[in-house]
Amino acid sequence: MVPKAANLSSFSTLLRGEATTISAWSAEWNARRFAAQMGLIILGAGIYGAAMGWWRAPEQALFVAIKFPLIILLTTLGNALLNGLLAPLLGLDIPFRQSFAAVVMSFAITSAILGAFAPLLAFAVWNAPPLEAHPVAAYNLIKLAHVGVIMFAGTVGNARLFQLLVHLGGGRAVAFRVFFAWLAGNLFLGSQLSWIARPFIGLPDLPVQFFRDNALKGNFYENVFHSVMQIFN
Amino acid sequence: MNENNPVPPLIPPGDAAQKPNDTRFLPPLVSGERALGDDPAERVPLPHAFAAIEALLRHPRRLLFQLRQPGAGKLVGGMLFVALVCAAVYGVVAGTFSGGLQLWAAPLKIAGGLLISAAICLPSLYIFTCLSGAQARLAEVCGLLAGLLMLMTILLVGFAPVAWIFSQSTESLAWMGLLHLLFWFIATLFGVRFMKHGFAHAHAKSQAGVNVWVIVFLLVVLQMSTALRPIIGKCDTFFPTEKKFFLGHWADTLDKAGGSRSMN
Repeated sequence: MVPKAANLSSFSTLLRGEATTISAWSAEWNARRFAAQMGLIILGAGIYGAAMGWWRAPEQALFVAIKFPLIILLTTLGNALLNGLLAPLLGLDIPFRQSFAAVVMSFAITSAILGAFAPLLAFAVWNAPPLEAHPVAAYNLIKLAHVGVIMFAGTVGNARLFQLLVHLGGGRAVAFRVFFAWLAGNLFLGSQLSWIARPFIGLPDLPVQFFRDNALKGNFYENVFHSVMQIFN
Repeated sequence: MNENNPVPPLIPPGDAAQKPNDTRFLPPLVSGERALGDDPAERVPLPHAFAAIEALLRHPRRLLFQLRQPGAGKLVGGMLFVALVCAAVYGVVAGTFSGGLQLWAAPLKIAGGLLISAAICLPSLYIFTCLSGAQARLAEVCGLLAGLLMLMTILLVGFAPVAWIFSQSTESLAWMGLLHLLFWFIATLFGVRFMKHGFAHAHAKSQAGVNVWVIVFLLVVLQMSTALRPIIGKCDTFFPTEKKFFLGHWADTLDKAGGSRSMN
């Protein structure tokens, strides 16, 4: 029997985090399902990225629509080997493919939530004064809204990932160890990729660009360190 | 002659001919963990290096059991080969920070440096093992050390994509050095965990000796990275012209980083 991989019910199963079903999905390779999840990441994160960049310029919306899913996919791929190595070492004996599938699923959930919030953010941007007018209050409000939505989507995606890891065996302690290691790795790489891929909202004084000219100069953590040092000096 | 020997042999001679390193005849483990080889799956030989990698990650007890068997030298050799290849792969990634000469010098230095560090530390590891009361032969100790190196370098390969992203997007030598040290330290922690697991099965009375050795090993590798510098930075000569301890080298690097930042 051919599994119904990409239909709406499998999408809702993913969002509900039905651990038994999702665990079975992750155990078996299904190209259609995998393509559907990748499509969900590209579509969900892409739409959200477009809503984010739209305030600055339509061109910026296109750029961020490409960059946002790209960051998620590169983070998943960049850490795939490491995540696959860490899972058995931390007590969760799952194959490499399954660990990769689990991370892709959690990002698919996150992206679906982001995509669902995109119209709301787009509506907020549509109602906001133009960015060129330097509307400080509106800028801060929309920036905070983005932070809140991304935080919520990330939290839900990771909560589902944790539930899946618990279900895959080893109990909560093992699942927590693996989850923490994966989360730390993804945050570490994801932050740097986001740093390279800036701008997202885009400052009105700077040109609309896919990457800043100095994208590959410095890194996220250096910048945070220097900012902290400037506070104390 | 030996009839009155009050200490019974640990391994009955008759059975030992069939299973010379069967640990079921050793006293129970302090940790209460079952003996190696109790599970028939652990007795399945490891035919090649890839099977050893799989066993190291998923079934370390199988690898530990196989390391105790006669003819484990080939397995240890394979593990060391994997470790050298993985170290070289990570070295290429580390070398991309500076490019040019470092693309081949860094892998050579990292792989060679790790091997030399392991060789330097092997005698002390064996001594500490014996002092702790562990019943491990030199070949087995070599196997555990090879396991440490293999796991450490495999994990470094896992970190390689992240290291490459940072290599391409930062110009700070101090930052890259710190990042490589962090990755190496995490990888070493897992390697040491495997090695200590092995010693627990060798009936060591205490882990104190191994803990001391781990500190010695860390210091040796850190000093080796300084003795073979530059590994990530640029230099006109293959080896350094000035001798330094690693703490002094770090302090100088941080001073230079601070100086160049204040100039900017």
